[in-house]
Amino acid sequence: MSELSARRGTRDVLSQVSFAVRPNEILGVIGPNGAGKTTLFECVAGLLPRTSGTIRGEPFFYMPDAIRPWPDQTVRWTLDLCARVWGTLPNTADLDLEHLMDQRVKSLSKGEAKRLDLAIALSAPHAILFLDEPFDGLDLRQTRQVMEVLRRSQRTLVLSIHQLRDAARVCDRFLLLDNGRSVAMLDELGDEDLEEVFLARTAAQRDR
Amino acid sequence: MRALLRKEIDELFAARAYWLVLIATSLLLAQSYTDAVNTYREVSTTTALSTLDGIVTPSAGAYDLAIMLLFPFVAIRLVASEKSSDALKLMLQWPVKMRLHIAAKFVVLLFAWMVSLIPFAIAMAIWMTRGGHLHASETLNVLLGYTLRFALTSAIAMAAAALMPGAANAAVVVLAFTIGTWALDFMATGRGGILQRLAEFTPAAVTRTFERGLLRMDVVLVMLAVTALFLTLTSMSLRRGTQWGGGAPAAAALIIAIALCAQVKTSFDVSDSQRNSFPPTEVAKLSRIAQPLEITIYLAAEDPRMSDFSNNVLVKLRRAMREVRVSTPYGARSALFENDDRYGTIVYRLGGKSTVSRSTTEEIVLETIYSLTR
Repeated sequence: MSELSARRGTRDVLSQVSFAVRPNEILGVIGPNGAGKTTLFECVAGLLPRTSGTIRGEPFFYMPDAIRPWPDQTVRWTLDLCARVWGTLPNTADLDLEHLMDQRVKSLSKGEAKRLDLAIALSAPHAILFLDEPFDGLDLRQTRQVMEVLRRSQRTLVLSIHQLRDAARVCDRFLLLDNGRSVAMLDELGDEDLEEVFLARTAAQRDR
Repeated sequence: MRALLRKEIDELFAARAYWLVLIATSLLLAQSYTDAVNTYREVSTTTALSTLDGIVTPSAGAYDLAIMLLFPFVAIRLVASEKSSDALKLMLQWPVKMRLHIAAKFVVLLFAWMVSLIPFAIAMAIWMTRGGHLHASETLNVLLGYTLRFALTSAIAMAAAALMPGAANAAVVVLAFTIGTWALDFMATGRGGILQRLAEFTPAAVTRTFERGLLRMDVVLVMLAVTALFLTLTSMSLRRGTQWGGGAPAAAALIIAIALCAQVKTSFDVSDSQRNSFPPTEVAKLSRIAQPLEITIYLAAEDPRMSDFSNNVLVKLRRAMREVRVSTPYGARSALFENDDRYGTIVYRLGGKSTVSRSTTEEIVLETIYSLTR
């Protein structure tokens, strides 16, 4: 992705953001609230118009944050629909969805809805997945379970995460965004603490 | 496409909105049919009333309310719920073009409409088992009129749901459109010109045409083209992230198609009594007249003679002759306070000759026109 820019009204919401994803890595997109993480994902997925920039490479699937698609239908119906679209049935046992299959999507708790969203994402055959806040709403045990499922999926993952501890635990590299701009690409954290790096880099960006 | 249709049907039946609309429509139809039968029974002892005017039209009138006030919510829901739940963001990534999604939704809405016609079919079956007469082509023509109206209203509701934030805003837009067409229908009466021509295609005017047992191809084609235009707008506005320009050529082509369709003059009289046609011998004579017939009607739009002349003579003349040009100098003026000697007269001009008549009776009008050809 090179030099992606987008506007909402008169405001620049993304300014020339560039990054590359390596095969089978987990890239974390981190940044404070309003940094442009979701905007970046929606722009890349073609759901928001971009004013400039190019996207090259394999097709990918984007799962938005906290959605409850087709709320009047059951979990089974939703997953069957995805299976009909993509031709692959997601593994519901790994995401602890078996006992929820006959529940309506609108009646799911936040964590249950998040697991359904992940199952939908994993039913897509794409080698690259963009997941917006994949651990939001999950407890520690579920977060670890989902991390394990994601790692086992053997996909290239681009994750937008605002919980830096989760990000540090699961991601190989980090793209730090602030105010719609790419502040840094952190390849190696070494002994540095991600939270400290985050605070220092975003503070420096604001001081400019 | 089969998977899409199945999804949309599941979505349709999962919503309470559709079931409520079905129940409300059935109740409305039962009421209108009962009233129609009672009125028909009373009136037919003294006057010859056709089943089209006495039973079919008043019974099907229940769909008037259903199409205007109930079904738009079903159409809005099919689009708005996927927007608000962000399911649309997933669908946009499926290997399916947005126009196929819209086509599937529209086909399912038509299916929903067909299901809602079952109470009407039952009512007409009851009418026939009680010894009543029903003319198939004029009955189907009335249903075709309502089906075209349903298609247009659904397409507008879908476009409103796609363009507006939230289902409530979309509902306001559809209601505003309906009220706007009522206003146009009211304002354009007797005015002539482009306004009156436009008013011929408002949903209310379309229904009136079909209820007369007239199948006008310009009306059918314009309704279909406008429906296609709104479906294209729906598809264009739901393809977020892409430029609007992509669908612009299709929209422009449809606008041109609408203008062309409005010029089609073919029509069919499908009424049992052939109420929209002169007898075949008169049609043969009139069709031989090559020059355009110009008619100037000095009558106000609200004058009962005006509606008599329009419904009983002008409709038939337009179907029988190659070109009929009509002007109404009074337009929508009441003419109550105008001291004009010409008021009440109708001037006919044909091939340089002209004559004046006050009659709105079919036989006299025909004789007047023939006198100009001699």
